[in-house]
Amino acid sequence: MRVTMDIGTVEERAGPRQFGPKDDMPEEYRKAATRMIQFHANSEIMGAYLERPFIRQAPSLDRKLAFSAKVQDEIGHGQLLYRAAENLGIKTRKQMLDELANGEGKFLNCFHYPMDHWWETPMIGFFVDGAAMRRQATLKNTSWEPYAHAMDKICFEEGFHIKHGESILRELATGSRKEQELVQEAFDEWWPRILQFFGPTDDQSTHHDFASAVGLKTMGNDELRQAFLNAYLPKARKYGLEIPEYPRIHEHNDGRYEVVEDDLDWNEFWQVAKNDFEPGVAQIDSRKAAREAVAWVRESMETPSAGSSAGGVPGAAD
Amino acid sequence: MSAEAKDLGGPADLTETERAAVEAELRPLADDEFVLAERYTEWQVRAPTLESDLAISNIAQDELGHARLWYDLLEDFGQSEAELIWEASASEFRHATLVELPFGEGDWADAILRGYLYDTYEDLHLHALEGTSYPRIADRVGKVLTEEDYHTQHARNWLSRLCDDEPSRERVQEALDRLFPSALTLFEATEHEEAILDLGIRTESLADMRRAWLSTIRPYLDSLGLSVPASAEGEVLADLPEAVGRNGEHTEHWPALFSEFTHTYRELELGEPPRLMKDPDDV
Repeated sequence: MRVTMDIGTVEERAGPRQFGPKDDMPEEYRKAATRMIQFHANSEIMGAYLERPFIRQAPSLDRKLAFSAKVQDEIGHGQLLYRAAENLGIKTRKQMLDELANGEGKFLNCFHYPMDHWWETPMIGFFVDGAAMRRQATLKNTSWEPYAHAMDKICFEEGFHIKHGESILRELATGSRKEQELVQEAFDEWWPRILQFFGPTDDQSTHHDFASAVGLKTMGNDELRQAFLNAYLPKARKYGLEIPEYPRIHEHNDGRYEVVEDDLDWNEFWQVAKNDFEPGVAQIDSRKAAREAVAWVRESMETPSAGSSAGGVPGAAD
Repeated sequence: MSAEAKDLGGPADLTETERAAVEAELRPLADDEFVLAERYTEWQVRAPTLESDLAISNIAQDELGHARLWYDLLEDFGQSEAELIWEASASEFRHATLVELPFGEGDWADAILRGYLYDTYEDLHLHALEGTSYPRIADRVGKVLTEEDYHTQHARNWLSRLCDDEPSRERVQEALDRLFPSALTLFEATEHEEAILDLGIRTESLADMRRAWLSTIRPYLDSLGLSVPASAEGEVLADLPEAVGRNGEHTEHWPALFSEFTHTYRELELGEPPRLMKDPDDV
């Protein structure tokens, strides 16, 4: 008979891809891993939801194709991640999708903000995806193997998304004066949210300690944001973007950046984190309405077949 | 190629009449694919399940890819992508009105049935181009046909599943009653129909294709318990809608859709749509 691993053993053995479905992990570990992966999966779905209107607004055949493919990839990532989360035996995919629809499911701060214009798309497609890439790359070494495995595929595809986002940014930044001004405006608006992408500093993060101790998280928020700034501040400047004066960012002699935390709106951040931020709630609710509008199809699929041979319909996607 | 039709050669070899006929054949092909894809993308992140979301996204992208292939052949005649799409006027589009109709909220039955009616038509149309006298079209038909097989399969799987229980079959029937007249617009001829056939650009007439289409869809939909407004002898028991699309006349939904998808291009005064991929001739 298998004995549930105790937390001490988990902490001792914690390392890259150490645990998988064969291990009888303690509930605390499984819950923590579910929380992380569910958050990640939800973010894929809500990110896709935010970007989908821009498939229509894309200004060329090629851009439209690329945008449609990107949004599709995000849905595929969501599918993969929900599966990895399901493996932990805490929640089913249906539960997690229900939670996302009814406002319990949490997701990335940046996807709570509405996006109205094409020139905002690189803010997600380049900066937010770039930030996500930093975090995701470290998750290839997370201790829950199915999560790390999903990350291999996701990081591979994200690489293309960031290139696409950068290409749109380059186009705008080297375009007409109007385009340059609009992309700067978008950057001014999105930059503080992007800085908050990594969450509060580690000493204020509620779930950090345990997740680190059991190897689910391999790098802290501070370190990730540092790495992001090292890579993306120069890129922003390269495209002629002016870094807003606030929030202040001090550049130290050793190349480290220090963000003045008080310049960021942490009240709004926590509102967002609790799904209480009004524009975010609107996103959640409109997605919920769209999901409910096709509930009849899911019900029809669950109705036992009256002898038709079409049992494999949902698999037609694979 | 039909026995009497000659090889028309490349774009530069065409007479004015030949060129007009080739364009009249290509424009509806390209626009149908493009506009249908535009509508399909509305289902992205809104399909019933994650799996069906991925599938309809695939189909939308296939159709966009095909549109790209056909627009590229139109570009041979000197018009750019900007002129063909982004800076065109809405009335220059020649897609059938079937593909421009909006989807009702959550009306997955419409998406699936529309796909089935369209894919069945497209399959016939592409087969009627396999022996075309215009080699540039012949070169591309095969690739498109391969992908369309999957689309028909997808639609049929879903249809038989949906028609398996009464409430969803009723939804499919409602979609059929609404869409059937519009589906007939796929077979509306342009003023160049005679030239297209005489020159061997297409080897089957739209009228013959319509008969073949009916004789495919009617028994199949019948077998699912649906009622098609056509007699067993192939007589259509529905009137064409007012706007058929192929002559440039569209429903009120088209200008709205056109304005939405050209919005960014106009607002940024782009002048040139960004190209990311290689020209189809170079791959």
